[in-house]
Amino acid sequence: MNGRNEENLKEQFEQDVLEGERILREHSAPEPDKQLISNIKNEIARAILRKKARRTYYEAAVAAAAVILLAAVSVKLFERNAGKPERLVTASIIPDAIWESESIAADDENIATLTAEIEEVESEILAVKSGGNGGNGLTDVEKLEMELVEINSSFWEG
Amino acid sequence: MKKSLNMAESDHLAQIIIGCKKGDAGSFSRLVDIYAKRCYGYFYRLSGSRDVSDDLLSELFVKLVEKISSYKGGCFESWLFTTATNVFRDHLRAKQRQERLLNAEKRQLESKATEAKQRSNERIDKLQEQLGKLDADTRELIMLRFYSQASFREIAAMRFEPIGTTLSKAHRGLKKLRELMEQ
Repeated sequence: MNGRNEENLKEQFEQDVLEGERILREHSAPEPDKQLISNIKNEIARAILRKKARRTYYEAAVAAAAVILLAAVSVKLFERNAGKPERLVTASIIPDAIWESESIAADDENIATLTAEIEEVESEILAVKSGGNGGNGLTDVEKLEMELVEINSSFWEG
Repeated sequence: MKKSLNMAESDHLAQIIIGCKKGDAGSFSRLVDIYAKRCYGYFYRLSGSRDVSDDLLSELFVKLVEKISSYKGGCFESWLFTTATNVFRDHLRAKQRQERLLNAEKRQLESKATEAKQRSNERIDKLQEQLGKLDADTRELIMLRFYSQASFREIAAMRFEPIGTTLSKAHRGLKKLRELMEQ
């Protein structure tokens, strides 16, 4: 029974829809003028040109932005490298020539000579301090200091 | 009612759409030749004015130049008439905004002038008169069905409503329209 009712309703629905659409077909709407169609086609052609021009501008802008970005990054990198010291600057007693030398053997020889000179100066200082160079036990430095004190006091006495 | 495209027609339309997406004016021209009449009828039955229909048809096809890239396949008629419906709704909103801006006196004068102009320029047919007695939503649904030639299922999807709602509204609307026309 339900199935039959449903079938009837479906038939009724289809019939009403078909009838309604028949009325719409019988009363056709006006058609667009040929002039309007022609104008629309012209307007579309103009819109396409505008769209293409916009795309070209956009692509050019993107390319320009990429170039500017690349240039900016390059400048930054260049500035960073330029500001950086080329090598560590120190108050080293080792001559520049040794740092810049590429001959290890020659450098070793130079360092050995330098070390020998330093040791020689050290032993001379010790000898002067201990009077080993013919002094009377007081160091030459102390003698010098005493002489300076005497000169200083006699200067004030006139 | 539903007139399915055969394979050759479907391929032909697909080629035209590809051309349109590439920005080919000739392809757009063919698209206008195929759909202008149906879209014009749709706008005319919704607005009841040839002037408005002229403007809306131009607006629709110019808008397609920008929007065609958003068509990702499926029933082209559904997509096209959804766009046409949006164009018509935008027109209605703009009209409502304009009306709100006018003061009562001005509106009255303009309304009288427009009516007089319409009477002299256009002979509104009986169907148009009776369509005006249906509510806007039902009128839009019936016209969408008739001019897009889409199935009720496709129309329901276009309107974001359940198929039962679409069928029920269409049935009631067409039945009422028949009664009005028989009076």
